[in-house]
This record gives sequence, structure tokens and C-alpha cells, in this order.
Amino acid sequence: MSGSAYGSRFTALNHHAASLHFPPSADLSRAVLIIPLRELNITFVRENGGNKQVHEKEQLKNLLAELEQLLIHANIPYPVYFAFENDEIDTVLADIKKNDAIGQPATATTGGYKLVIPTPEPKKVASPTITNIQGWLSGLKVDGDTNQLPTIAIVASYDTFGAAPALSVGSDSNGSGVVALLEIARLFCLLYSNPKTRGRYNLLFGLTSGGPYNYNGTQKWLRSFDQRLRESIDYAICLNSIGSWDNELWIHVSKPPENAYIKQIFEGFSNVAEELDIKVGLKHKKINISNPRVAWEHEQFSRLRVTAATLSEISTAPELLQGTGGLFDSRQFVNETAITRGVKLVAESLANLVPIGRECVDCGPMTSVSGLYQSNANLLDIRGKGPALVGWNWGNVWEHVWKELADHTDEVNMQHEVLEGVFTFYDSTSARLNIYQVASVTFDLLLLLVLGSYLIVLFSFLVITTRGLDDLISLFRRPPSRKVKTA
Amino acid sequence: MTMFHFFNCAILTFGPHAVYYSATPLSEYDTLGTSVKAALVYLGTALVKLVCLATFLQVSENDGFDPYQELLKALIGFIDVAGLYFALTQLTHRNISQNHKFQAVGLGWAFADSVLHRLAPLWVGARGLEFTWDYILQGLEANANLVLSISLAALGSLIWLRKNKPKTLIPIIYACAGIVATMPSITSSSFFPEAALLSPMKFRLPSSFVV
Repeated sequence: MSGSAYGSRFTALNHHAASLHFPPSADLSRAVLIIPLRELNITFVRENGGNKQVHEKEQLKNLLAELEQLLIHANIPYPVYFAFENDEIDTVLADIKKNDAIGQPATATTGGYKLVIPTPEPKKVASPTITNIQGWLSGLKVDGDTNQLPTIAIVASYDTFGAAPALSVGSDSNGSGVVALLEIARLFCLLYSNPKTRGRYNLLFGLTSGGPYNYNGTQKWLRSFDQRLRESIDYAICLNSIGSWDNELWIHVSKPPENAYIKQIFEGFSNVAEELDIKVGLKHKKINISNPRVAWEHEQFSRLRVTAATLSEISTAPELLQGTGGLFDSRQFVNETAITRGVKLVAESLANLVPIGRECVDCGPMTSVSGLYQSNANLLDIRGKGPALVGWNWGNVWEHVWKELADHTDEVNMQHEVLEGVFTFYDSTSARLNIYQVASVTFDLLLLLVLGSYLIVLFSFLVITTRGLDDLISLFRRPPSRKVKTA
Repeated sequence: MTMFHFFNCAILTFGPHAVYYSATPLSEYDTLGTSVKAALVYLGTALVKLVCLATFLQVSENDGFDPYQELLKALIGFIDVAGLYFALTQLTHRNISQNHKFQAVGLGWAFADSVLHRLAPLWVGARGLEFTWDYILQGLEANANLVLSISLAALGSLIWLRKNKPKTLIPIIYACAGIVATMPSITSSSFFPEAALLSPMKFRLPSSFVV
């Protein structure tokens, strides 16, 4: 990133294993430390850190978050791997701990385990592509109205990043946002299909990429818009992490709260929130044009003079590569009812803004949100399985999302761009670990000694029995000199 | 380090043959030719056994003990004996005493057996990182096989080469020959060594974990 290296860029591993209970004077330079996450001590990691392998375990969200930040921002000259804990690794680890407890140094001369990961060095990814997906729902055009309808945009970014990118599923950040967006799309598709409940705004749904990287995808997406379309966007609501909150949500804006549009949005949300028993706060953060750091997605909109706000459970703006859905952000930490309430909030507010006839909003979709939500609950699970990093590894998740959006909008488009900026990416995010049980060199030396003596004994035995003892002795006696012959 | 282990296991497996050859008067009388010929006869015998096994043996789905199949396998084992007879009697050896002939033939036989059945697993497996006791056990098995082959050859020479045998010992000799001939099939878990040729990777592969 901007020429400086972050994190660990080494992958190949071929070292002996050690556990945390090593004697203080042990030489760790040729060892791999296997550390179960629950025993991890952050200060230890900060000071030393040999080659590390960390096991994933629940209920350690804070520990993982802190560890991740540490790993991301430091430049680490050796590989760090995260592995899932299972029985085999547990037995291996128990063995290693036993060995270490005795005080045997785990080097090549004693027994032990050797961990080998035979991957090549990671290569730079030449031009990482980002993919934005958008869906369009047309509003109701009243006869005689020749102006273009205004648009409301609902946006969520879907990329994640973490210390172990292959494991960063980002169920809350921003899987929750993606699911909410798809759900809102579905609800409004139902509403819009009936001309009576069709609003007079177009709805534009956007799934953007490049979230952790200063929302580069959003910027590209906006830049690709037709000028008229951009000007027709009245509001943009960005969804970011609405999966694990209790009863407080924040609306982040970059325009001052006194702005009429902002007031309108906020009031709309607050009114609905009161009915749903949610507290909604307004947070204002000014944009610094000279600072390339983009903390919220709505800032990209604001930079192009579109009114936008981000709805999130996070109250303060995240730092670079923070809150981007790391290791700890898995399915179990996401609260489905929270997402449902969030969807309700946004949908009802939108319905008020759009506006849709109240009576038809109450009946039908809104009341059965939870039932219709089931299909998207599966999406959260799928998201749990398919991490996204700059649009890679999407596979069947992408197809599902595309299909969802295509089903519920009039028109779906995809846009591929190249991620620009100061980020350079390297591949090799996951590998296969081989653990071998090895015998030490001393063992083989001993074996050689034993075999040598066995063969010598065999040889002597055979010579004695077949040729007689004299022959054995004569083998070692030098033949007598033959000086006599010359005379 | 792993080449070292391979070297160790190799000398355990093949060392005794070389030692036997050099320690006994076999080397003085230069009986290498006999041993080589015996080794070739062993190869031929192994091929014939393989073909017979493939032709007559049916692969049974259930792992039950089928007496007819086992009988068939034992009969095919006697092809071994026939091969040994051929090596002892039919091949023209130079003028070496009977005493040394059977030793040379037995040695050649055992050496060919070791090379055929143990060299390939050793080369492929013992050089890996993972340590197992299998190869050392295999070496010990080769040693035992050497003793077995030489005793079988001795009994064979007694039966076919010696013309004036004391009458009382004849049945004992034949009984011993019968036991020794079928001993490998009784003791070894893989019923016939030929099976090892068909499944070369019977040794455990290193365990691997997905990261």
C-alpha cells in the first residue's frame, strides 16, 4: 500500500512445530508456533511472534479484532496462518506441549512434528477487478408528466478484508447490508408491481465493491453514471453493518444537519423509528477533500454532490481496514432480528419518502417480512461460506445475488472496473498444511550403529562357521612380505 | 536426513545378502553366476505365479474365508517349489559342490525376492518426511526371508540332488520341505507377496490438514 508493506507476505512453511510453553531460552527462529486462540496473549504476539498458526475459536471477538488489527498494520517477515481446530490438530498440539513441558528443545535432533506448506511465493495481482452490480426499479409515471422521475438510490458494499482474507466472511460487515438491500428490493418489487402502490420515485439498488479500499468501487460506479441520472438522484441511503445492534442505529452524513434534505431524511427515519421502538441518532462528519481516506460510502456520493447518508450500527467512523469484516465477523455474531428491524425501518421510511399509499404498505409484505426473509437468511449463510476480496472467489454467491436482484428489479447491470489507487494485492490466501511426524537424526545414527554392528557380527559368525576361526583372524593380519623371492 | 533413513533401511534389507556372499566360501569359489541364474529363475517363477493368480483367483466381495480359494493359493505356492527344483537341477552349473550349490541358489533366490518386493516401497516411501517403523520391519522380514530361502534350497537339494539318503530321514525331509514351502503363506498377512506388486502404495501416506 503506497509502497510500504502491510501484513505478512510469506507463505511457504517448512519448520518444526512448537507450542507456547517453550522454555524461555529456546531458539524460535526455526520453529512454527501453534497457538490455540484461547491461549493467545496479545502482548506476546506484539513482542515476538515466530511463524504463527492460530486456531479459531468462538467468544473471542475482541481478541480476534485486536489481533487482526495488529497483524494487518505490522509488517511481518514470516507467514501467519489461521487454521480451524479439529481433533487431529488437537492431538498434535497435545503431543508438542508434552514434549515442550519436558524441556526438550524441539530442533532437528529430537523427535517431533514438522509442518510443511508447499506453496510458492505469492505473486502480485496485476489488475484487481472490482464489480459493481446495480438494479433499477422504475417508478410510476403519471400521464402528462414529462419530466424524468427522481431517483432514490440504496447502496451496500459487499467486499471484505481481514488478516486472513480467505477466512474473512464479513457476515455483519457488510453481509447484513447486502441482505437488507436485497430484501428491500424484493419488498419494493412487490409494491411496485401493483400500479396503485407504485411510488413516484425510481429506485436504484447498487451492490458496490471495493468497500475496504476507500470505497473505490462506489466512486467508479458513480463516475460511470450519466450526468442526468446523477442529478436525478434525490437521496442515496447506504447500508453498512446493520446486523448486530440492539436498539440504536446511526445515520452518518457529511452535509451539515441543517441542510433541508438531511433534515427530511432524518425526520422520516426518526418518525418510523419511534413507532418501531428504535433510537436513531444523527452523526455529522465533514469531508476533507485533500484526505484520500473515505470512511463512509456516502462520502463518495457527497463528493459528487449527491445527498447521501449511511445507516449503520457503528457510531464512529472506522479507520482504514478496520471494520471491514474480518475473522471474527462470522454468522454467529449476526442478529437476524436486528436485520429485520433495520429492513423495516428503511422500507417504511422509504415508503414515506416515496410516497406509497399507507394502507397498502401495512398489509401484505410488511407484516410478513420475517416469512419472506427466509430466503435471504440463507444468503447470510452463503455469505458465510464465500468470502469476497475485490470480487474474487464469488462463485455461486454472486449468481445467487444476481438472480435475486434480477428477479426483483426491472433491469440489472454489471460493471467491471480496475481497482486503482495505492493498494497492491498478492494472491495465495489459503494453503494446505501437511504435518509430518518425523524422527530425529540421532535416531537414524543410532540405527546405523546398530545395523553396522549387526552386519559385522553376521559376517564374523558366517566366516567362523564356514571357514573356521583362523580365517577370520587372517583377514586382519597383513600378508607376510615377499622379500625372499628376489634373492 | 530422509535419504539417511533410506540408506539405513536399504542396508538392513540387502546387507545380509552381501555379507553372506562374502563371508562364506561362496566368494572363494566364485559362485556369482549361480546366484544370478537363480535370481532370474525366481523372476520367471514370480511372473508365472502372477499370471496364475490373475487367471484362477476370483475377487470375492465378502471377506469370508473361502477354503477353495485358499487351497488354490496354496497350490500356486508350490509353483515356487517347482521353480526352485528347476534352478537346482536343470541349470548347468560349473563344478561346484552340492554344499555350495544350494547356498548360492538360495542366496540368489532371496536376493531377487527382496529386490522385487521391497525395493520399490523402500525407494518411494522411506525417502519421505514422515517416519514410520514399516521399513525397518520390512528389512527384518527380508532377513527372515533369506534364512527361509536358504533352508528351502537346502531341503530341495537334499530331496533332488542327493541320491543316497538314509531311509529313515526321507519322510522327515519331505515333511519339513512341505512346511517350509507353505510357511510364507501361513505367516504373512498378505497371503501372497505378489499382491504387493499390485498395490505398491500400501504404506500410510502422510496426514495432511487443510489450512
